[in-house]
Amino acid sequence: MNPIISARGLTKRYGRTLAVDHIDLEIPPGRIVGLIGPNGAGKTTALKAILGLATYDGELSVLGKNPSSQRAALMEDVCFIADVAVLPRWIRVDQLIEITEKLHPGFNRKRCMESLAQTKVTTGQKVKQLSKGMVAQLHLALVMAIDAKLLVLDEPTLGLDIIYRKEFYTNLLTDYFDEDRTILITTHQVEEVEHILTDLVFIQEGKIALEATMEVVQERYVELMAKPEKALEARALHPLYERELFGRHIFLYENVDRQTLQGLGELHTPSVADLFVATMKRGVS
Amino acid sequence: MKRLLALVEREYWEHKGALRTTPLVIGGIYIALLLMSIFTTAHVDNELYTFKEAVRLAGEQSPEIRAIVVEQALLGSSVLFTITMSFVVFFYLLGALYDDRKDRSILFWKSLPASDLLTIASKLLTAMVLAPFAFLVTLILTQVLMAIIGSVMVLSVDGNPWTLFLSLANPFKAWALIGASWLAAAIWALPMYGWLLLVSSFAPRVPLLFALLPPLVISVLQGWIEFLRTFTLENNLSSVIKDWMFNTPAILTAEVGEGEAGVALGVPLTGDFDHAVTLANMLDRLLSLQMLVGLVLAAVFLAVTLLLRRRATES
Repeated sequence: MNPIISARGLTKRYGRTLAVDHIDLEIPPGRIVGLIGPNGAGKTTALKAILGLATYDGELSVLGKNPSSQRAALMEDVCFIADVAVLPRWIRVDQLIEITEKLHPGFNRKRCMESLAQTKVTTGQKVKQLSKGMVAQLHLALVMAIDAKLLVLDEPTLGLDIIYRKEFYTNLLTDYFDEDRTILITTHQVEEVEHILTDLVFIQEGKIALEATMEVVQERYVELMAKPEKALEARALHPLYERELFGRHIFLYENVDRQTLQGLGELHTPSVADLFVATMKRGVS
Repeated sequence: MKRLLALVEREYWEHKGALRTTPLVIGGIYIALLLMSIFTTAHVDNELYTFKEAVRLAGEQSPEIRAIVVEQALLGSSVLFTITMSFVVFFYLLGALYDDRKDRSILFWKSLPASDLLTIASKLLTAMVLAPFAFLVTLILTQVLMAIIGSVMVLSVDGNPWTLFLSLANPFKAWALIGASWLAAAIWALPMYGWLLLVSSFAPRVPLLFALLPPLVISVLQGWIEFLRTFTLENNLSSVIKDWMFNTPAILTAEVGEGEAGVALGVPLTGDFDHAVTLANMLDRLLSLQMLVGLVLAAVFLAVTLLLRRRATES
């Protein structure tokens, strides 16, 4: 199948700094990809290039189109939510639905109204009268009513309380995602998305530090909570990262035989957050 | 086309205050002034004696003269609308590509499948067609209401409003002329509109400053060079802009010249154009070399605007 996003040597310069540094990336359809990186790593810059909002060097193709020159055509099949507060504040909810319906050929009003019916948002309200969480629900209702092939979420739940955040991802997964659709998410709240991701992309200083499916991650990486007397032995096996929790040493290994490790303590699948920290500490390989 | 109209409708929603309320306020001012003058007359006058006399004297004038006066009144009362509209359009264009960058809603608009060219076209169309249309509708309503009030007054002193003034001038012709002059003025103003959109597409803040500062600096520099070289720089930018504005094909004054009341296009400052209110004089401007230069300038400004808008995200 043709990849949804395909980048080769994708580069973005701001003056002398390289915000995105020769990235090669391929995202097939039907995946939920987490693009994760520290602040200033180039996540948003990469997303802007993918959405046709910024110039770039290198080759980039999204759904077979060139985002830089074909943004409007691309947006018929791509939706994006760039954090919560981007809906125009002056507009009324029914006007927002009307303009989206008129501009978007793939918009389904009935679906949108069904989603909205589950919230407290009413069509006569202006966006500025809604709370932050309601604006997020409204935006999600709009996006979920659009038959798009790619959904890009850039910190979609920033500043929302925990109830809205949980609901947001649950709705996304149950009502929206299927094997023809691809979702690309950036967020700092890794714990919230890790159970829904199928793929991980870590980005650091404009380069890709890790790109793997969750299955591969679970195969390749293992966390060992070492017995106190085995800590030295464990350290000798070149862990990626070591941390201490309640006086016990926890090691993270890449491609180390599990049989060897088993005798040293308990084995776990590392959380994405721990893997992220370990990868960032190691630096770009 | 459907998308373009949807975008223009969007502009109307966002700028209802400027495009609907503002002309209504202007119309309200005209009506209020009329009613106030009527109440004043009724208050100081003994049984409307002076008003009766005025109606009688007016009736003695020849129908030709009365027709001219009515026509001048129809055209001349558009002046306040014209001036207000030019301010509305000025500030509308200045914010057109700036406001959504400031409040970050550009990230939503750019997530919809409408091209930047279409977006800019919708803003220009709003300034050039929708605003004049909205103001014209209100102007017509205002004049109709004023005619009704005037007729009631004339009837109350046993006059005949139909023969006195209603039947003398063709209001549709006046309204068409006013509408045509506003459209012509919008085309005439294209270089300014292009400049304002350009500023609006890049200004990081206070677009007003960015719009006014460059022409101001250039004018001052030109004045300074003129002073240093002591030769006359006839076409310095400030006088070009001033002449351009006052040569506008919109009805801007009801002036008195050589004993005759007349309504003129613009305020005649230069002898470049005939300033009588006729379609021919409007076309004369639109088909001039100056207009051609202005259109080229507008095209350059708008092309740069499009390039900048394509790359624009939240500021």
